[in-house]
Amino acid sequence: MSFLHIENLTKTYTVDHETLMGVDNVSLSINRGEFLSIVGHSGSGKTTLVSIIGGILKPTAGRVLLEGVDICTLDDSKLSEFRAKRIGFMFQFASLLPILTAKENVLLPGIFNPGQITDNDNTARGLLEMVGIGEKLDSYPSQLSGGQQRRVAIARALLNNPDIILADEPTGDLDEETEAEIMHLLEEINKKQGVTIILITHNLGLAGKAQKKYRMSRGQLVDI
Amino acid sequence: MAQISFFSVALKNLKRKTFRTGVLVFAIALLVSLLIFAISFTVSVASSLKKSADRLGADLVVVPVGARGFAEEFLLESKNTSFYMPISIIEKVWEIEGIEALTYHTYLSSISGLCCDIMPTRIVAYNPKTDFIINPWLQESLGRPLQLGESIAGFGTSENLGLGLLDIEATIFDNRFKIVGVLEQTGTGLDHALFMTEDNLKNIIESGKSPLKKGEISIIFTKLKKGYDPDFVGRVLEGEIPEVDVVARSDMGEKFINTLADINKIFLLTTILASVLTTFLVWAIFSAIANERSKEIGIMRALGAKESHIVRLYLIEVLVLGLLGSIIGVLAGTYLSAMLAGSFSLLKNISAGLTVSQQSVIAMVGLLVGTTICVTGAMMPINRIKKMEPLLVIKEE
Ligand SMILES: Nc1ncnc2c1ncn2[C@@H]1O[C@H](COP(=O)(O)OP(=O)(O)OP(=O)(O)O)[C@@H](O)[C@H]1O
Ligand SMILES: [Mg+2]
Repeated sequence: MSFLHIENLTKTYTVDHETLMGVDNVSLSINRGEFLSIVGHSGSGKTTLVSIIGGILKPTAGRVLLEGVDICTLDDSKLSEFRAKRIGFMFQFASLLPILTAKENVLLPGIFNPGQITDNDNTARGLLEMVGIGEKLDSYPSQLSGGQQRRVAIARALLNNPDIILADEPTGDLDEETEAEIMHLLEEINKKQGVTIILITHNLGLAGKAQKKYRMSRGQLVDI
Repeated sequence: MAQISFFSVALKNLKRKTFRTGVLVFAIALLVSLLIFAISFTVSVASSLKKSADRLGADLVVVPVGARGFAEEFLLESKNTSFYMPISIIEKVWEIEGIEALTYHTYLSSISGLCCDIMPTRIVAYNPKTDFIINPWLQESLGRPLQLGESIAGFGTSENLGLGLLDIEATIFDNRFKIVGVLEQTGTGLDHALFMTEDNLKNIIESGKSPLKKGEISIIFTKLKKGYDPDFVGRVLEGEIPEVDVVARSDMGEKFINTLADINKIFLLTTILASVLTTFLVWAIFSAIANERSKEIGIMRALGAKESHIVRLYLIEVLVLGLLGSIIGVLAGTYLSAMLAGSFSLLKNISAGLTVSQQSVIAMVGLLVGTTICVTGAMMPINRIKKMEPLLVIKEE
């Protein structure tokens, strides 16, 4: 059995009695430590797919098995624990809490996963330095540029040492140089820590660096 | 720098909109102070009535028929009233089964200018041999019995008359009296009277200035033997002696207690309305908060927050709000009760006052109610928002 097994996953959205296809019968097997990339047109269902995998959206049909356990059947407490301990989200959207500083934002997942991180200050500093904004520790999101905010979110995703990183266009509004740095970072994490990474990107160059490459089209997933 | 925790995040949330937070705290404080005031008022009236009745030390009070209300007023508040019955009633009372001790008072109202050179005061003449109402206090204050021509002032009388000094002389119904002391405060209507032994009455009656006639008394106090039910003996008394009304100790202040029950209803209605309004306000504000922060809640959920974590985070926020409001309300309400007590005649006439332990219990009730209302109002919106699918709220703008 593979590490992460996705079986006949379907998600439909209903808007005003009309049914929209988000993800259409997707099946996929992923081994531990693999680096996957998914490309696809806007609206093809990429965010929907990784959201189901990360346990923040319930599928209409199908299963997501992590080491044989169907996460779609977990209760709230277990599912939240799964997200806290095993998943690192990098969202496509701005996702920092405006009332918290960069450092506090990075440390936020820690309060939902108590006992994991002991040296708060140094952990946060280390992660922010790793994404290149070690000097912005005490800045609030409103005082950071869009790209800097994104890096804080990336650092945050790494806090709990997740098994799987779900990166939804993590370098969307970053310059090429930074984009390359972040990609390098993800590759490092993948290689050194054996973290499984699913990367969604519009950048075919970046996608090409992955071991397995997929394209989404109208909710369906195809190998490329 | 402090570590991040549920508490620190909740506090930061609270500080986001200080005006809104302030409004909420103010509303809760208002509600709680109203509650504190209402309870303090009711409890102090009720408990001082009981204290007064207990203090009299009599199980049954016998008065002329029709004077029941006057008697209560006289004993529990500080009104000047006179009512009389023949002294021969005493023998009839003694014949009733269950009477252990018996004494009586004769009451007079002094009228300034006409007969007396003191402010209008109630004068209580008692029988020093049988008395068990005045003697115990006299023992404490003076240490010896009163002599003919001597008088002792009740605690309140001394204030009213301005008797700071002892050994003042006063003319009462054309008789000179030496005021030899001041009784300690008793918390009954008797605090506002001037006391003398009944042998003085002869001279007063002879003066012709008082309405009192020879052989008249106002009130009989009885103690019952063990095992006799005051209500039962009271009914027997009223049945056997048609000229009298009887008030049992437990019924004393009934008039007040009825008034009090009406006031309580008004208080109850007001506090319920205020509670509903405040709950609604908390609900409205937390609905707004839940909507504003739904995206943040979704993000926290995605980062691993359980539903219970979200509840905990907002519970802290609402508890801090509720406690803050309640504490302010308790302080304001307690202060208000103390300040306004003097302007309520119901409280002024009976000597009202709460003990520290009564005040603490009332404060605790205020805190509890204020906080509970806050939590109740906030829980609904929070429960709604914690249930939403994280992705859907994260994408909301
Ligand atoms: N909450 C929703 N309600 C209704 N329809 C939705 C919802 N979210 C997504 N959709 C629809 O599902 C489809 C897939 O959306 P999704 O966000 O997964 O696309 P995407 O591939 O991530 O696009 P992009 O590259 O623009 O981010 C789209 O057609 C979209 O209109
Ligand atoms: Mg997307």
